[in-house]
Amino acid sequence: MTDTVVPTPLPEARPAEPRHGVGDRRTRFDALGRVRGTLRYTGDEGAVPGTAFAGVHRSTAPHARILSIDTTAASGMDGVVGVVTGADLAAVLGDRMVTGPAFADQPCLAVDKVRFVGEAVAVVLATDLATARAAADEIAVEYAELPPVYDIDDALRGEAFVHDELRPSSVFADLAHLRGVRDTNVCYEYRQVLGDTAAEHAAATTTVSATTWTPPTQHVSIELPSTTAWVDSGRLEMLTTTQTPSYVRQTVATMLDLPLSRVRITTRPLGGSFGTKMYDRLEPLAAALAWTTGRRVRIDATREEAFLLTTRHGAQVIGTISADSGGELVAVSSDVRYDTGAFADVGPRITAKSGLVAPGPYRIRSVDVRSRCLYTNKVSAGPFRGFGVPQVTFSHETLIDELARALGEDPYRFRRRHLLREGDVATVGTRMHSADFVSCLDGVTAAIGWDEETPPGDGRWVHGKGVAVGFKAVLTPTVANATLNLNQDGSATLLISTVDMGQGSDTIMAQIAGEVLSLDSRRIHVVRADTDATPYDTITAGSRSTYHTGNAVRLVAEAMRDKLIGFAAELWDVPAGVLVLDADGVAHADDDRRISLPELVHARFGAAGATVTTAENFTSRWVPYDHDTGRTEKATEHWFAGAAAVRIAVDTWTGRIRTPHLAVAGDVGRAINPTLVEQQLTGAALMGLGHALFDELVHDHGQLTNATLLDYQLPSFADVPERLTPIIVESAHRDGPFGAKGVGETGILPIAPAYSAAVRDACGVRITTLPLTPERVVEHLEDRS
Amino acid sequence: MTEVVLHVNGHPNRVAVDDTTLLLDALRRRVGVTSAREGCGVGACGACTVLAGGRSVSACLVRATRYDGVELTTADGLAEDDPVVSAFVECDAMQCGYCIPGFVLMSTELLRENPDPTDEEIIEHLAGNICRCATYPDILRAVRLAARRHPG
Amino acid sequence: MGWSQVSAVRVHHPDTLDEATALLRDLDDALVYGGGTAISVLRAQGLLFAQDWVDIARVPGLADLTTTSDGLRIGALVPLRRMETDPQVRRLTPLAAQTYGRVAHPRVRNTATAGGNIAHGDYRLDPPTALAVLDATVHLTSAAGTREVSIREFFTGFQQTAVAHGELVTAITVPRQPERARGTYVKLRSLSENDWPCASAAVLAVPEDGFVDIRLGLGGLAPTTVYLAYDVTPDMDVEQAVDAAIDIADSAMDPIPDIRGSARYKARLGRIAVEEGLRHCLKELAG
Repeated sequence: MTDTVVPTPLPEARPAEPRHGVGDRRTRFDALGRVRGTLRYTGDEGAVPGTAFAGVHRSTAPHARILSIDTTAASGMDGVVGVVTGADLAAVLGDRMVTGPAFADQPCLAVDKVRFVGEAVAVVLATDLATARAAADEIAVEYAELPPVYDIDDALRGEAFVHDELRPSSVFADLAHLRGVRDTNVCYEYRQVLGDTAAEHAAATTTVSATTWTPPTQHVSIELPSTTAWVDSGRLEMLTTTQTPSYVRQTVATMLDLPLSRVRITTRPLGGSFGTKMYDRLEPLAAALAWTTGRRVRIDATREEAFLLTTRHGAQVIGTISADSGGELVAVSSDVRYDTGAFADVGPRITAKSGLVAPGPYRIRSVDVRSRCLYTNKVSAGPFRGFGVPQVTFSHETLIDELARALGEDPYRFRRRHLLREGDVATVGTRMHSADFVSCLDGVTAAIGWDEETPPGDGRWVHGKGVAVGFKAVLTPTVANATLNLNQDGSATLLISTVDMGQGSDTIMAQIAGEVLSLDSRRIHVVRADTDATPYDTITAGSRSTYHTGNAVRLVAEAMRDKLIGFAAELWDVPAGVLVLDADGVAHADDDRRISLPELVHARFGAAGATVTTAENFTSRWVPYDHDTGRTEKATEHWFAGAAAVRIAVDTWTGRIRTPHLAVAGDVGRAINPTLVEQQLTGAALMGLGHALFDELVHDHGQLTNATLLDYQLPSFADVPERLTPIIVESAHRDGPFGAKGVGETGILPIAPAYSAAVRDACGVRITTLPLTPERVVEHLEDRS
Repeated sequence: MTEVVLHVNGHPNRVAVDDTTLLLDALRRRVGVTSAREGCGVGACGACTVLAGGRSVSACLVRATRYDGVELTTADGLAEDDPVVSAFVECDAMQCGYCIPGFVLMSTELLRENPDPTDEEIIEHLAGNICRCATYPDILRAVRLAARRHPG
Repeated sequence: MGWSQVSAVRVHHPDTLDEATALLRDLDDALVYGGGTAISVLRAQGLLFAQDWVDIARVPGLADLTTTSDGLRIGALVPLRRMETDPQVRRLTPLAAQTYGRVAHPRVRNTATAGGNIAHGDYRLDPPTALAVLDATVHLTSAAGTREVSIREFFTGFQQTAVAHGELVTAITVPRQPERARGTYVKLRSLSENDWPCASAAVLAVPEDGFVDIRLGLGGLAPTTVYLAYDVTPDMDVEQAVDAAIDIADSAMDPIPDIRGSARYKARLGRIAVEEGLRHCLKELAG
């Protein structure tokens, strides 16, 4: 069922046979190191002598004034070299110690006030980690409790406020007008308006409404966050677990008031991230501690602490969809509320980017989306695979599924009829390209045998099927750069700031460069992000790297190809146009002259080991949202389109859901490496399965109650569906490298709504609150009867 | 402090540890083995798996002094052509790879006890290890492949 | 023997049972360190405050698993994995082998011990349900001597056991499972498949002169493991036997609500575990 589209050949490229990487199921170049564990992650680097280990004392109050901090007992313990409070840092750094990608609302240690249970209040530095942690427990803090804002309802009631005043940081130009706004917990609002929804709903013949809830969850990348910072010759240097080295460099430079050249952020491969190791995590604190104490400071988070660094947004969506007598979609209204916790983090961007797709990928006559980002006294929520879109997908797919049923239509075919096609304009105003929803939907439904008869129940078990699509825009605008060194021996070194966190970016970037240069990708080494050496890249996130950094890599390889051909042209005194680069070097198209790359580079520089360097940039652009309608002709550089279909069996005694077959499809434009694409699709689908069935952070009066892996639920081997089918759809993007786009998030978007639709099909109950725990299923079954 | 000899992958390492030092910390900080890693600290994820006398152990749950003189195997001690290692590589059974050494050792233990496991037996034995990237389908293929090749 | 002091915990290494019991008598708040899994978890979570650990690894005989005239004697330090795999356990008490094999995952079963498992006293543990229906006896030793406690009396309250100050579990004896009896262990989760049980039931059906003695051990359904028994009389059919089992289970369940479910839902799963287990056993007996 794969809709394979032949990639558009680059105009100047000769057909490359054999291929040099693109399209190959190539294993990761460092596979052996990953399997035997010899690949070193950040925390695997040993601590050098003299390192001060950090133990963090954390708030026990959700919302309170700090009256006093007694550090006497901690300071007196053997091995303790210092105790630092927020006030200590503020004395040196002032307001610059408060950071954040959207709002400057995140103090690296609380000053005057705490805003969630678990907020960092003070740090003990000690000669070993155990002492640091033990001493941190000896710190005593006196609080005066303030009225807490526990949830969305509290936040909107407007009686207590998490922040006294909104203070946008400099990253989002569209937030500047909020500076100085007081007495609100709403830190951002995005509005999308198309047509007249009130009139359309009123005139419609069929209307369906649903209030959905997707709970906060945690990423739980198994590698724990770890940051070491030190000062070297007046420069702040750092080794850290981050997806955003370029952002961290800027944040640290701003915080310490240093030129960018005096901040160095280095990385190792990440042991998973999914959004958890982004923006301001341990890095501002580590930098502030190293800078103010002059010590080499290492912060290692425990699993319990990692739960306090960031979460996925819990979100409520109040949605309504209407159809006319012909079954056309005439109106969608959507009131989206993201609980962003104590710090906005990137919540405002999530609110906007999710708001723009909240109506769903359908031809709809009118829409009205109001998407808001709300502060509460909980752990800050930030990016998590899908960037807020799974939450709105659960809403729009619940609505369309229920509408289809209300109209007596098949949920698959009803969606198929209304899905956006190539060239259509989405409700946000942007034209669709390379987003083949129909092939994704056809693929997953065919895989599970949608039209085959559902097995009859046996009195206890009942069976059902469900389907859903997913729709997301890639983060735009963003910037990617690449630098390529061709070594005299014909190998190459690629410098990019993309962080390989399991997606295999190092492998596919080498495949892209290798394809252009007719060079085996295994001869291309990708340098790990090091801001002293690798150039600026916005972030490794939002499934943007294959397209954006991939394009920068394609461009830098093309520049290298042209440069090498230029060398040969000069050498032979012939026009460059008659020369070609192939697997054996540069050749004259019309005679038998040819020269290998080692010979060519040696001939040019007369030195073994010489390098040839090229550098290129790829920047995507957008058109900002219209102030009144939130619409724009270019909301995004490209779209992600995906679908999932599932056959389930529900145990009506226990409420437990079993999965005989789950199929997931994503339009990836072009699969650079099909194995890695399938891993992204299935990995995202299984993460989505957890979110659908059991994965949830539980709070009690603002305190997390299941923040340990003994209690927090992650999909295990035993939770994998009996059959799991990934389907690659390739509708090439006209500007993607070899037609490619990203895929990291596509698979997670439609999973939960596909499951809830299958429960609806099996049992006749529509559950709009995630996760679909057995108890919740049973409650709905009892309510039905 | 107590001196113990940790026999890791056939090599004795005389190291000084406290009597409450966890085996994981002793291996990482004293011996320098970093293929066993902390993921949860409570024995629930399997990233710290080592084999002690051939049996799988969560190194984050046990004291190093208990393993004085015991033959320990960590994933980096397995040969490149080890049937389990090569099967994982060939199946690209990894994403971020952080947890994979634990899966490799659990698979090694399983195949030693049960050279021809069913899928259900593989899943049962590996279900206490978490791969958050959810590479489970590829890991299952790798263990099946290793079983086919296993000398046992 | 000797001890070392580290981060406020002293670990003692008695070489004999007498040394161990003397330490437990003399120390105010000592923990017996067997396999150490539960201790490590509680310590990592900051929930353990005992200053002294008495590591019993050097005490001779505690790791022995032996057959006796009427069953098994399980030393306190026998690993759970051995209880799962040992041919003698499988032959003499198949229900115990099955149930020990369902604990957590192989790493925990390789490390955790039979004695530590029950001393932990958690109401959700798997093995106590089987030990209860098999009528096991816990052997306790202190400086004052030894005593025996039925496993059915061993769990006295939430996270509490009959182990008194100065005592340690040295062994568990389990009578041989009656040859014609059929047993099974049902473990139901409410969240991921890898989770703790939400409700569990060990069921043993022992035919006796036309009657069937039904024994139930419930896990996770009250502050302690629950033991229940009743007879299926010759005049009862399977449905009546199931109804009776559910009635008696209902009368004893007192689940603790938590993230795994409300008390009501846990009780529902408890009834299902009992029913599934009982139907399985009766079917096997009939077949």
